Amino acid sequence: MAEWNAYYQNEDEEGEQEEGEQSGGDYKITGRDSLVFLVDASKEMFIKGEDGEPSNFDMTMQVVRTVYTSKIISSDRDLVALVFYGTEQSKNPRNSFKHVYVYHDLNEPGAKRVQEVDALRGEKGAKLAAETIGSGETSLGDALWCCANLYSDIKLRLSHKRLMIFTCRDEPHGGDSVKDRQARTKASDLKETGVVIDLMHLMKPGGFNISLFFCDIVSPPEDESEMGLQLQPSDKLEDLQKRVRAKELKKRTLARLNLCLGEGINVAVGIYATAVAARKPGSIKLYRETNEPVRSKTRTFHTQTGSLLLPSEIKKAQYYGGKEIVMERDEVDAIKKFDDPGLFLIGFKPMEKLKLLHHIRPAVFLYPEEDEVKGSSCLFSALLKKCSERNVFALCRFISRRNYPPRFVALLPQNEELGEGKVQITPPGFNVIYLPFADDLRTLDPPQFPSASQTQVDKMKEIVSKLRFKYRSEGFENPVIQQHFRNLEALALDMMAPEEIEDLIMPKVDQIDQRLGPLVQEFKDLVYPAYYNPESKPPAKRKTADTGGGAEKKPKVELTEDELKAHVQNGTLAKLTVPVLKDACKQFGVRTTGTKKQELIDALIARLGS
Amino acid sequence: LASAASVVLCMDVGLTMSNSAPGEESSFELAKKVIQKFVQRQVFSETKIELALVLFGTDSTDNPLSQDGQYQNIRVHRHLMIPDCELLIEIENQVQPESQQGDCILSPEHVSLIPCRNLTLQAEGKKYDCLNIALLTDLNTQTNEESLEVIIKNLTQSGITVQFFLPFPVEEDKEGKGLSREQKKNKELVKEMMLSLDVEDGLDEIHTFRNAIEELCMFKRVERRPVAWPCQLTIGSSLSIRIVGYKAVTDEKLKKMWITVDAQSHQKDDVKRETVYCLDDDNETEVQKDDIIQGFRYGSDIVPFSKVDQEQMKYKHDGKCFAVLGFTKQSTIRRNQFMGSQIIKIFAARDDEHAGVALSALIRALNELQMVAIVRYAFNRISNPQVGAAFPCIKQDSECLMYIQLPFMEDLRQFTFPSLENKKFTPSDAQLSAVDSLIDSMMLVEEDENGEQRDLFKPHRIPNPAFQRHFQCLHHRAVSPGTPLPPIEPWLKAALDRPEVITERCQDPLDVLKRKFPLTEVEKKKKLKTSAQIFGKESEESEAKKVKEDEAEEYNLADIAEGSVTSVRIRGRAGRLNNPRRWARFCQQLTHRIEQLLSNKNTQYYMKSITCIQAFREQSVKLGNAEHYIATFKVFWELLVQDEVEGSSVSKAEANQFLVAEEKKEEAAPAPVEDTGDVDDL
Repeated sequence: MAEWNAYYQNEDEEGEQEEGEQSGGDYKITGRDSLVFLVDASKEMFIKGEDGEPSNFDMTMQVVRTVYTSKIISSDRDLVALVFYGTEQSKNPRNSFKHVYVYHDLNEPGAKRVQEVDALRGEKGAKLAAETIGSGETSLGDALWCCANLYSDIKLRLSHKRLMIFTCRDEPHGGDSVKDRQARTKASDLKETGVVIDLMHLMKPGGFNISLFFCDIVSPPEDESEMGLQLQPSDKLEDLQKRVRAKELKKRTLARLNLCLGEGINVAVGIYATAVAARKPGSIKLYRETNEPVRSKTRTFHTQTGSLLLPSEIKKAQYYGGKEIVMERDEVDAIKKFDDPGLFLIGFKPMEKLKLLHHIRPAVFLYPEEDEVKGSSCLFSALLKKCSERNVFALCRFISRRNYPPRFVALLPQNEELGEGKVQITPPGFNVIYLPFADDLRTLDPPQFPSASQTQVDKMKEIVSKLRFKYRSEGFENPVIQQHFRNLEALALDMMAPEEIEDLIMPKVDQIDQRLGPLVQEFKDLVYPAYYNPESKPPAKRKTADTGGGAEKKPKVELTEDELKAHVQNGTLAKLTVPVLKDACKQFGVRTTGTKKQELIDALIARLGS
Repeated sequence: LASAASVVLCMDVGLTMSNSAPGEESSFELAKKVIQKFVQRQVFSETKIELALVLFGTDSTDNPLSQDGQYQNIRVHRHLMIPDCELLIEIENQVQPESQQGDCILSPEHVSLIPCRNLTLQAEGKKYDCLNIALLTDLNTQTNEESLEVIIKNLTQSGITVQFFLPFPVEEDKEGKGLSREQKKNKELVKEMMLSLDVEDGLDEIHTFRNAIEELCMFKRVERRPVAWPCQLTIGSSLSIRIVGYKAVTDEKLKKMWITVDAQSHQKDDVKRETVYCLDDDNETEVQKDDIIQGFRYGSDIVPFSKVDQEQMKYKHDGKCFAVLGFTKQSTIRRNQFMGSQIIKIFAARDDEHAGVALSALIRALNELQMVAIVRYAFNRISNPQVGAAFPCIKQDSECLMYIQLPFMEDLRQFTFPSLENKKFTPSDAQLSAVDSLIDSMMLVEEDENGEQRDLFKPHRIPNPAFQRHFQCLHHRAVSPGTPLPPIEPWLKAALDRPEVITERCQDPLDVLKRKFPLTEVEKKKKLKTSAQIFGKESEESEAKKVKEDEAEEYNLADIAEGSVTSVRIRGRAGRLNNPRRWARFCQQLTHRIEQLLSNKNTQYYMKSITCIQAFREQSVKLGNAEHYIATFKVFWELLVQDEVEGSSVSKAEANQFLVAEEKKEEAAPAPVEDTGDVDDL
């Protein structure tokens, strides 16, 4: 029903949503990711470490659980499977493989699966594992074949296929060359279908020797120069265990449009949102009795006849100056239309002309679309290079979508930056900074104060230097969202209480105090007189005549009906204050839904005006 | 026109006002425009300024002072009150050039007295902070010099300010020619009067019509009174500074929303929108609102999580705060990572000099070190806390911190893009120099002869064009209902365009650029297809492909927002439509769309709807599910019969007959039928 409803719902609240980003369609183009955990269930896996360290199996289950719970929040539509090999029992789709136990087939992870993995953890878990799956013969070849079947049974489009083998045995078949060969064949079959096989070799007394067998099984590392396998297993595990509670978003354009430099010079560009305020995922309405989701239907109908209204039977109106001004629905859209979507170059300005103040909404990112207009990348690249070299930005008029009014934007060049291991830190392209219009700037009346003396400034500089840190934009989690996810987790997994969150945007007051030591007092002695306490309530404002004593509580004014009618007639209702209007509404039994002044006024006019 | 608590507009509509040089607008027309623009501003900004309109040089006389033959040919058109649309309409229709000329008693200066007295009478009991009189006249009247002194005395006493709007400038030696003797004489009188009034620079209050129109063209920018946000800036547990924050920049929106009204009655009460909930079963069983709880998706599960529980378990904090987390180099804050839609300026608390000094020390320290404070900011207890940066900002007359929200980890999307350092895309030196000369020719900031910088294009000085256009259209609709909306005003178009100097200068570099950089649009498969085409094509597609496209979830019917549908696009996939519920939903949408198309009453749209129906029909046949099709078709047919369509030759009887036949046919194995032929005949 998405479209059907959107048709009605968006009309009053357009513009507020993120431009152009439709929800729900994330996977339309890219397909889903999939991950199969192939876990060794041999006896060796259940051996506990020396100092009561958890067994390899236990650790693996912990990792699986973490990945499950992470996936649920970051990309809950990815598919995950858990398969054991070297088991006593067998369980797989057609039961054609012995000693392979498909614990979870490829599917979206959910609360039940997390709990089922939980059940395999710890002392109890080991016992349960021994009962349900047991340890038996090993044939990695069969296990891989079974996994291949899991993939081929999926009818959805998969974008990324990954298989992770968790084991502590470097010679799973104990030197059986037939089984080794079979496993190699199956592994290469899998790799051919685009599955990336990864090895998580776990602790083994005497060390894990990859070259004995597994080097032929796993996918070669992307970077030929270093053997990815040499990586310490613990590092990879740590990586897997890192919990990220943030929704993963696929790279998609908000819009593809032309950057027009002049008549007939159109560079095709894609617009990407690189920073968007994340919100709690939306709630779903459920039927109380069964907890099943309900659908909503919105209808517009005529109050008197009760008949459904077609869009053509509806018009739009605004109330101004005592008159209802009515427009057709398409006129309302037409008013907002200035031109077709696109970017139009106005000119260039030196970088220092872009002020800090020029900010009204988060920036977006521009990258050429060679697929739309051939030659775009070259001109884009030249423009980027020159703007960056000359330290200028391009000023453009920007219409982001159909029937959207224009905004002016500054295109800031951003060069590609590579970090360690040639990982891209910043991509090449233009950052699009939205510029304010005259209406967006407010006139303030700044209070005047004497400036601080150099001694005072210097003392503050000491304080500032003591509290220096390196800012990283990804360093702060949103406590509101984090708490929400943990609450959800606790409810879904029947936990006693949600996991504690660390509020990263809370000042670490103790640390700060400790670092600053006596500096605070020294600074205060320099700027504050002894009697002054900044924490106390501000001294009562002197009521000066010209401010009109706004704080003063005015006695309640009751209006008579005649007075009110006179106001209605003269159109002077707006002169009354909101409380007075509210009282008037109450007094005359006018029911209002809103609390805004205009709504109150409209309600009163509707009642008394006619 | 200065904003004042109340304004009296006095407009000369006399004989000479209608004079104009060939090809130019007359003084009357210009003056009327000034008044219209001004009133429009007042109406749509909903200010509380009261307005009165007095016309002089009128044929009739209607004013409270018109006794004994005095104050003749003056008509008080509107007494002081808040201006409304009615006034706009009256100005449009009733303010016309008239044929009288004020006699010798009636100097324009005299007129100014009338409303004053007049209004002091009317305004009894009301207090006016300020009364402003605006006179629009060509000064072509005989005046009485002696009265000047009286007038000046009167005005000064009553604290009334005066503004003049004239067809010509009053400065010496400018357009002095072509003025009548009276005009010249009166010009001097006006000057003398304005100078003798106790105003700072009286001559500044004399405007020409043209200047005034230009200035008034821009709809007054939306002004909001800044609201103070008092708080304490804290560093650690024991250092705090009393501050106050003001929104300095914010993405301003229009105050009013469109309300939905009935097309006939124009009443909003006639229209009701209702949302019902139903189970996702075949019967679409309706569920009462009280029986609905909320839940959240957790992987493949949905976890019921009531609002009460949510409220209780949610993140809570101590409320209002502006606490420093630490300090960092300004360069580590990326410009493209500014979040939110506002900038808050932080000053020391008013009337607190000590706070002022303390904050100044911080601002200056940050400025000297080129650093910023990273702070936790919470507006109040209910709002979510943010992390942000406070930049030092030192201006000649004030110092402040500028707070800008920064992203949370969850907000960032670390996308990577292919490098542009690619042999295929690397521009040649010749290409680079072409870009260089383009930049040269298009620099918007330049130095003039005096070495002063001149910025040719300042977006932050341009009023939001969306608001301008919005009010232009509202004004138009209020004043002349029933006529199509006017085009965008030329000045606004020009304001949004490349400055002319630049357009000229960049012409050659652009031509070079065009030659150096070949750009060819890649031929795309037509994006827009008719439904018929799609259905035809889709059915031929292989099974495999359908599976791949399985994830596409929406059926997207082209919207007709612009009223210019060029084709109907249906992205429903035949494979998916096999599901009866999807099919039903799809049918519902399609039906709705057809109704919309039909309601447009235009042949072009009829043709669209026919294409739709044809495709619909074919699909129904394929699926062997014609139920929806027939239902839709009935609706369609009824519309035809209702005589909604002009020139419809279909009678009710014929229609019914057809329907019966159609149903029968559908029951049997349907083949392409003649119905389309009938419809095409429209």
